[in-house]
Amino acid sequence: MASNSQIISPDPAVFSLKTRNFGSIEVRADQIIYLEPGLLGFSQYHRYVLIEHQRETPFLWLQCLDKADLAFVVIDPRCLLSDYQPASLAQASRDLEVENPADLKILAILTIPPGKPQEMTANLMGPVVINLKTRQGRQLIVEDSQYSHKHRVLPG
Amino acid sequence: MLILTRKSGEGLFIGDDIRITVLEIRGKQIRLGIEAPGSVVVLREEIYRRIQEENLQAAEARDIDVSEVAQLWRQE
Repeated sequence: MASNSQIISPDPAVFSLKTRNFGSIEVRADQIIYLEPGLLGFSQYHRYVLIEHQRETPFLWLQCLDKADLAFVVIDPRCLLSDYQPASLAQASRDLEVENPADLKILAILTIPPGKPQEMTANLMGPVVINLKTRQGRQLIVEDSQYSHKHRVLPG
Repeated sequence: MLILTRKSGEGLFIGDDIRITVLEIRGKQIRLGIEAPGSVVVLREEIYRRIQEENLQAAEARDIDVSEVAQLWRQE
């Protein structure tokens, strides 16, 4: 089982995880993001960490800590639509007890068809919202017809 | 599947903290009221399935494709 690859290090604040995409990573307790409820389809997993893909690109990995081979590519949706502002964001912000708007991280999950990266899409209907202060987050469901769950990222 | 018959105005509980009430029956449509804790996801089935399916597909992302994506992004 993938979860067996999680090793608790002698320092309780750090543990290492053998991931599918990045080999072994070390995670400090203060880097862990808790998604509650978990992502739809993966509701049993709650602990994640954000990892930069490469410098100077807006892509991040949302790596699950409870299942080593589970990771999502994410992007700030405002890199795609600068005025991305679903109506339900305000309520989500209150639910997550965000005090300062700068503490609210919004991430759209990307779907990259294997071997066809040009056709990748961003899910603007199900952004992950995170309070960076408390590191609590959830997947917000946006029922706003102007935002697609398959928003094309690159021109066809 | 558990099947229950309810009239307009009647309800049911799922556990201690989820309550569903039949508010109105009009022709082929039924209005339901749902009271549930914030930690419970309540969605129309078609929306739930769409997001779940998208999450499952997104989880298939491979590092090699993401590297190419990053390169394509820089070219744009």
